[in-house]
Amino acid sequence: MAAPPSAYKDRQFLAVIGDEDSVTGLLLAGVGHVTEPPDSQRNFLIVDQKTEASQIEQAFTRFTRERKDIGILLINQHVAEKIRYKVDSFTEAFPAILEIPSKDHPYDPEKDSVLRRVRRLFGE
Amino acid sequence: MSSGAGREAVFPTRQSLGLMKSKLKGAETGHSLLKRKSEALTKRFREITRRIDEAKRKMGRVMQIAAFSLAEVTYAVGGSNITYQIQESVKSARFRLRTKQENVSGVFLPQFESFSTNDAKDDFGLTGLGKGGQQVQRCRETYRRAVETLVELASLQTAFVTLDEVIKVVNRRVNAIEHVIIPRTENTIKYINSELDEMDREEFYRLKKVSNKKQRDQAATDKELQRQRKKTDGGADDEPPDVLGTQEDDDVIF
Amino acid sequence: MEGMFYNVNGGFVEGIVRGYRNTLLTAQNYSNLTQCETIDDVKLQLGPAYGDTLAALPPNPSTSSLASKTTEKLVADFRYLQAQATGSLAKFMEYLTYGYMIDNVALLITGTLHERDTRELLERCHPLGWFETLPVLCVATNIEELYNSVLIETPLAPYFKGSLSHQDLDELNIEIVRNTLYKNYLEDFYHFVNNHPDMRGTPTAEVMSGVLEFEADRRAINITINSFGTELSKSERQKLYPQFGKLYPEGSLMLSRADDIESVGLAVSGVGDYKSFFDQMNQSGGVGAGNMAGGSANEGKSLEDLFYQKEMELSKLVFTHQFTHAVIYAWVKLREQEIRNITWIAECIAQNQKDRIGNYITVF
Repeated sequence: MAAPPSAYKDRQFLAVIGDEDSVTGLLLAGVGHVTEPPDSQRNFLIVDQKTEASQIEQAFTRFTRERKDIGILLINQHVAEKIRYKVDSFTEAFPAILEIPSKDHPYDPEKDSVLRRVRRLFGE
Repeated sequence: MSSGAGREAVFPTRQSLGLMKSKLKGAETGHSLLKRKSEALTKRFREITRRIDEAKRKMGRVMQIAAFSLAEVTYAVGGSNITYQIQESVKSARFRLRTKQENVSGVFLPQFESFSTNDAKDDFGLTGLGKGGQQVQRCRETYRRAVETLVELASLQTAFVTLDEVIKVVNRRVNAIEHVIIPRTENTIKYINSELDEMDREEFYRLKKVSNKKQRDQAATDKELQRQRKKTDGGADDEPPDVLGTQEDDDVIF
Repeated sequence: MEGMFYNVNGGFVEGIVRGYRNTLLTAQNYSNLTQCETIDDVKLQLGPAYGDTLAALPPNPSTSSLASKTTEKLVADFRYLQAQATGSLAKFMEYLTYGYMIDNVALLITGTLHERDTRELLERCHPLGWFETLPVLCVATNIEELYNSVLIETPLAPYFKGSLSHQDLDELNIEIVRNTLYKNYLEDFYHFVNNHPDMRGTPTAEVMSGVLEFEADRRAINITINSFGTELSKSERQKLYPQFGKLYPEGSLMLSRADDIESVGLAVSGVGDYKSFFDQMNQSGGVGAGNMAGGSANEGKSLEDLFYQKEMELSKLVFTHQFTHAVIYAWVKLREQEIRNITWIAECIAQNQKDRIGNYITVF
C-alpha cells in the first residue's frame, strides 16, 4: 500500500547528478546542501567525460538508498543513459527520480524510464 | 467445476451454510466496492499519466530557458570560473521540500511542496559582485522557477508510482475475489446444499421404512387380538366377525 | 615629440597589434555567423580568422570547447607579443595579466578553503593569468600557508599586503576578497601608467587613464547595484570602490550611500555617459536590478550590456591614437568581447534561441 509517512517526512532535499552547467544552474536555484562536517557530504555530483560509470552508480545508490533525507533526485538524461539499468530497476516511490534535459542533450521522452512505464501500461 | 475453485473444508451443516451465505454476500459487496475503487484510481491514474506527459514536455522547455539564462551569465561574467565558485560556495540548501498527503479514494498520495528557508544563509548573494551580478541573480530566479516545475513533476511522478502500486494491489484483490473467493464460496454452498438434500432424502426414506414396519406390526397385533376375542366368546355371538371375510379392518391410527 | 622614440622599442609590437585588430570580426562576419544552423557552420565561418586553432575541434563541438579554443588563440597571440615586448611595454603587458591572476588566485583560495585538491584547479585557471609560480600555490594545504606563498611567490603580493590578512581570506566572502584585490590592482595600474617615467605625459598615460577610469567606475556601479539586498554593508562596500575615476570622490560617496537603483542613477548623474545609461534603462522599464525580470526574453539592453558596449567603443577609439601601449590593452579587450560574442552566438544556435542571437556587441 502507500508508503508510510515515516518514509518521506524527513526528505527535504533535492539531489543532482549532472553535467557542470546543469548542476551549476540548479545550485544557483539553492538546492545545494553540504552536510555538517566531519563527513560533509554534498548532495550533487558533477559528471564530465572523465567521470566513470561506477562513480555515477555509487552516487546514485548513495542518493537513492543510503541517504534518507533526499526527496527528489534530478539526473541528466544522458547521464541516466550511462546507468540505465540501475535507473530502470529503481521502482520505489521515494526518492522520486526525475530525468532532466541538459544543455547539450535535449529531452527525449522515449528514453525516460517513467514515461516508458507509462507507455507500457497503456500498451503503446 | 474449475480446479481453482474448490470448496472450503466445512461440515455440511445448516449453520455453516448460513456462514457461507453471509460470506458470499460480503464477498460480493466487497467486490463491487473494490471494483469501484479501482475504477476511481485508474481514472486518477490516467489523469496523472497525462499530466506527467505534459509536464515532462514542459520541463524540456523550462530547462532550456534556464540553461540559456546560465549562458547569459557566462556571457556577462566572461569566464568559466564562476561555475567552480558556485559549486564551492554551496553550504546549505535554501530550496527545500515539504511533503504532504493527498487522499484519493483512501490512498494517501505523497506530494512535494517546495519552499525557501530563510534560516540558511544566502550562499550566492555576492556572486558576480564585480561583474555579471545582475545576470547571476536573474539566472537564479529562472532556475528557481525551473526547479519548482521539476518539483511539481516529481510529485506527479511519485503519485504515479504509488498509484501504480496501489492499483496493482487493488486489482489483484478484485481478481482474487472475483475468480477465487466467490466461486469457491458458491461451490461450498452448492456442496452444503446437495449434502443437506441428500440427508433430507435419506431421512424421508428412513421414516417411510419405519412407518411401513409399524403398519405391519400393528396389523399383526390386531389380527391376534381378534382371534383371541373370538375364542373367549365361544361363538355366542350371533354374528361372529368373519375374520377372513370381506369386511375390512379399521385403519390403524397411531 | 613623444612619438619620436616610441618606435625604437614599441613600434614592432604596436604594428602587430594593429594587424591583429584588422582580423577582428566585423559586423559583416557577425551577421554571417548569426545565419548559421549548426556549430559546425560557425566553425567554418570562423575559419579565416582563427585558422588552425579550431581545426582540432571535433565535429559539432560544445560551446565551451569552442570558447576555450578561441581563448587559446588569444593567449597564443598575446604570448607572442609578450615575447617581443621590452622595457616599460613588457611591464605594461604584465600588468594586463594581473587581472586574470587575481581570478586564478581567488579560485585557488576557494579550493583551499574547501580542502579540495587544488592541482585539479590549475586547468581551470585562466591561461592569461598563468604565472610560473602558480603551481607552487597548490602545495599549500591550509589558508595561512597559501597566504604566505601568495605573498612570496606571486606578483600580487602588494595587493594583499595591507588590506587583507590571512584571517580575512578565511572569513570574508571570496567575492569581497576578489574585489578588494581588483580594486588595489586597478589603483596600482592607474598609478603605474601615470607615473612610470616612460609613460608619464605620453598618449599611453592619457588613454589608459580614460580606460581605467571607466573600468573603475563600472566596477563601483556594479558592486553597488549587485550588493543591494545582500549582507554587504555600506561601509564595506565603500572599501571596494577604486579611489579614482570620474565618479571619485563625490560620486563614490553618493554610491556608498545608495539604497536603490534610483539613488545610484542620481549618484552617477554627474557623468554624462553613465547618466544616459540610466536614462535608457529607465525607459526600457528599469530592468537594471535584474531580479524581477527573470528569464523573460527580449527586454532592453541591461546595464551590463551598455557598459560592455561603452567599453568596446572606448577600445575602438584607442586605436586612433598612435605611439601608445594602450592599443594592446584595447586589443585584448576587443578580443575578449569577440570570444564572448562567438560563445553567445554558438550558445544561441546550440540551444535554439535564435530570437536573442543579435545580443552580441560589435563596434566594427
